[in-house]
Amino acid sequence: MLKTLLKTALAAALATTALTGLAAAQELKVGVQNMAPWLDPGRDFSNVGSQFYFNAFDPLIGKDANRAESVWQPGIATSWKQVSPTQIELKIRQGVTFHNGDPMTVEDVVFSFDRIINSTFPPYTVRKRDTLPNMAKVEAVDGETVRITATKPEPLFETLLNVQQGMIVPKKYVMALTGDPNVAEPSDFEAFALKPVGTGPYKITEFVPNQKLVYERYDGFWGEKAPFQKVTVQRIPELSGRLTALKNAEVDLITNIPPDQLDTIASDAKLKVEGMQTPLFHVVIFNTQNPKMANPKLRQALSYAIDRKTLNEALWFGKAKVPTSHTFAQFGPLYMPELDTFEYDPAKAKALLKEAGYDGFPIRFDTQAAYYTNGLLAAQAIQEMWGAVGVKTQLNVTEQWTGSEPAMMARNWSNPMYFPDPAGSFGIMWAPTGNSASEGRFKADEAYIALWEKFRYSTDLAERKQAYAGLMQMIKNDPPVLPLYQPYESYGMKRSLAWRPLPGHIPYVLDFRAGRVTLAAR
Amino acid sequence: MTDILDAKVLDANIAFPPQPKPRAQPQSRRRFAWPKGVSILVAGAALLALILVLLALFAPALAPFEPDQQKLLARLRPPIGFERANPAHWFGTDQLGRDLLSRCLHGLRLTLALALFGTLIGLALGVSLGLVAGLFGGWADALIMGFVDIMLSLPFTLVALLVIALAGTDVAVLICVLGIAYWAHFARLVRAQVLGLRELPFVEAARAAGATRWHIATVHMIPNIVSPIVVMASLNFSNLILLESALSFLGLGVQPPTATLGSMVGQGRDYMASASWIVAVPALLIVLVSLAAMLLGDFLRDHLDVRLRER
Repeated sequence: MLKTLLKTALAAALATTALTGLAAAQELKVGVQNMAPWLDPGRDFSNVGSQFYFNAFDPLIGKDANRAESVWQPGIATSWKQVSPTQIELKIRQGVTFHNGDPMTVEDVVFSFDRIINSTFPPYTVRKRDTLPNMAKVEAVDGETVRITATKPEPLFETLLNVQQGMIVPKKYVMALTGDPNVAEPSDFEAFALKPVGTGPYKITEFVPNQKLVYERYDGFWGEKAPFQKVTVQRIPELSGRLTALKNAEVDLITNIPPDQLDTIASDAKLKVEGMQTPLFHVVIFNTQNPKMANPKLRQALSYAIDRKTLNEALWFGKAKVPTSHTFAQFGPLYMPELDTFEYDPAKAKALLKEAGYDGFPIRFDTQAAYYTNGLLAAQAIQEMWGAVGVKTQLNVTEQWTGSEPAMMARNWSNPMYFPDPAGSFGIMWAPTGNSASEGRFKADEAYIALWEKFRYSTDLAERKQAYAGLMQMIKNDPPVLPLYQPYESYGMKRSLAWRPLPGHIPYVLDFRAGRVTLAAR
Repeated sequence: MTDILDAKVLDANIAFPPQPKPRAQPQSRRRFAWPKGVSILVAGAALLALILVLLALFAPALAPFEPDQQKLLARLRPPIGFERANPAHWFGTDQLGRDLLSRCLHGLRLTLALALFGTLIGLALGVSLGLVAGLFGGWADALIMGFVDIMLSLPFTLVALLVIALAGTDVAVLICVLGIAYWAHFARLVRAQVLGLRELPFVEAARAAGATRWHIATVHMIPNIVSPIVVMASLNFSNLILLESALSFLGLGVQPPTATLGSMVGQGRDYMASASWIVAVPALLIVLVSLAAMLLGDFLRDHLDVRLRER
């Protein structure tokens, strides 16, 4: 009798343990450094927001995330065909539903693009200008087909239909959020950004701006179902807080680990680290429109004075990548490491300062305290390097974005790869109508504009390469930007979690779709 | 912090008139007599304070390196005695390869200077306004004490945040912020003392003799309220060290690369697990400085409080 009781108790205990383990594996908990203040893939281009969209939204054309080069895959569109240099037609997947249960139709696809390219809402207007400037019209041909028309011949149709800004949102839901349910008003877009709805494998069931995001598996997803019933993403801004949360098993995964903290995680037998060189540059930017910074020789001198190799070795233990030009391996045939746009030459820097007539006025260098991994340390090191060639630097640590201030002189920033083409990284920031021009710190002259047009819209690859090399030469002669390095971004996680950042994504994407992540119960 | 400070100073209220009769001191046969009322703890605190002040004063001469001089490829070296230590850097190097000892010495210097100037500003502002409120009474008293009440009801960190957000993070701004942190405590204390003194015969006599308010304030009032003010200033000093450290920890204090003890702790906090010396050394110095100031403040309170002395 006692034996039977013991056996029963043991079996019950084992079953409970197994069930608990199984339940634990149904939820993933993530600690992130930053949480977005709102979530709308169409208007967002921040490094913070880009972490979260891929789980809940789909673009028209998908991409193999495991490969750095662009391998396109069906997404919301099942097939597509470029019918002329300025037009592409796409067959839209049938049977797709949004997280609120509404069926997704060609009307939703048209609406998703139309809200940006014919924007009545200023944040979308900015994205039209920097990301989709060539898109003129999106129309439904029939119940299954959408036609997209560009103003000029478009060599990047597939690339542009994969971008985050082109992810599909529900027309009816958005319009009904506030005011007239038949009109898309700015207040609808504001409301949507707090209660976002997409077609992806996870639905967003809770979103507390700047704090917390909860995904739950969406059983109506058109593709392979999500591996977790629930994913909770909690903001833990302090690195020490994130490390403690991971060590105490409060979370399974944490982001933004500087290289000099990796040993702390690696020394714990229950934890591990994954990382990769993110397709993003930490950069120094100059306000070319500030009269004090107007002389190109001064900016050249400041660029030549920064020893990026030493920064990489000291701050990143050599794991980051110091670029020779504004170029990423993900650009495929347009990857041009052979260019020598950015170099270190302190002697040349001193000579250029003399030629520029630099009289010792302080250069204000703005930086945020903790936004970029190693950002403040790099800023202090740059201050020392500029000091070594005779430039006085006043470090200004501020949480404000000062990039659009006329008084801004220099600051740190990042240039992410928004899509795998020089137009999707350098172009977003430094095109004649790009972000920097919009914010008034950069102004392209006629020669630059002409060369840009050639690079951006030529359908001849060799011509595009030649034009981009020409643009890089112009940037070298009159620098508004200096890429420091491609950071090596590391993530700390439980050993039982199989996850890593993937090279085919834009920077920082936390991809928790099927096949990309597993968490063992024990 | 505020409550402790208030309680200690209110304990130190001085009985009037302030000059008690000196007791006859027994003649000592020894050549050296341990000062009466000075415990070993207080003597230790005084010695510690003296050492810290000397270190701060002579920091530029004592520091083996420039405080901001970086050696990027020699980052995070531990203090001597540990593996990977560099003998040139006794306390190790920080996250940018700067000598921690040199930064601590210069940081101590700036931290003490900030606390000193902050105390002096608070003292000048609080004593003047307290005197005006106490002597003039009426609407001037109501207005000043209204400001005092508002000031005491506000969480000072929020006030500091607002001022720094509006005026920037310059050292001068930080000194002003520290200066306004405790003026209300001084004003309230001085007003209370003046109200008590105002009714005493020697002040009434001065008034009857035609003395001006200025004369009464400077000749009769201030000398009689020096003791509690000194006590409060000493306690205020240690509180300002902690406040400066807290603001710098939050990134609102002196801007990098300039070192203060608080900013060194603040910027080093991410390295607590991997390079704890970066935080431990300046944090220990903060503890020592504020401990010395607190102990000396307590001693002054005990020494100057007539009631305590008579017990």
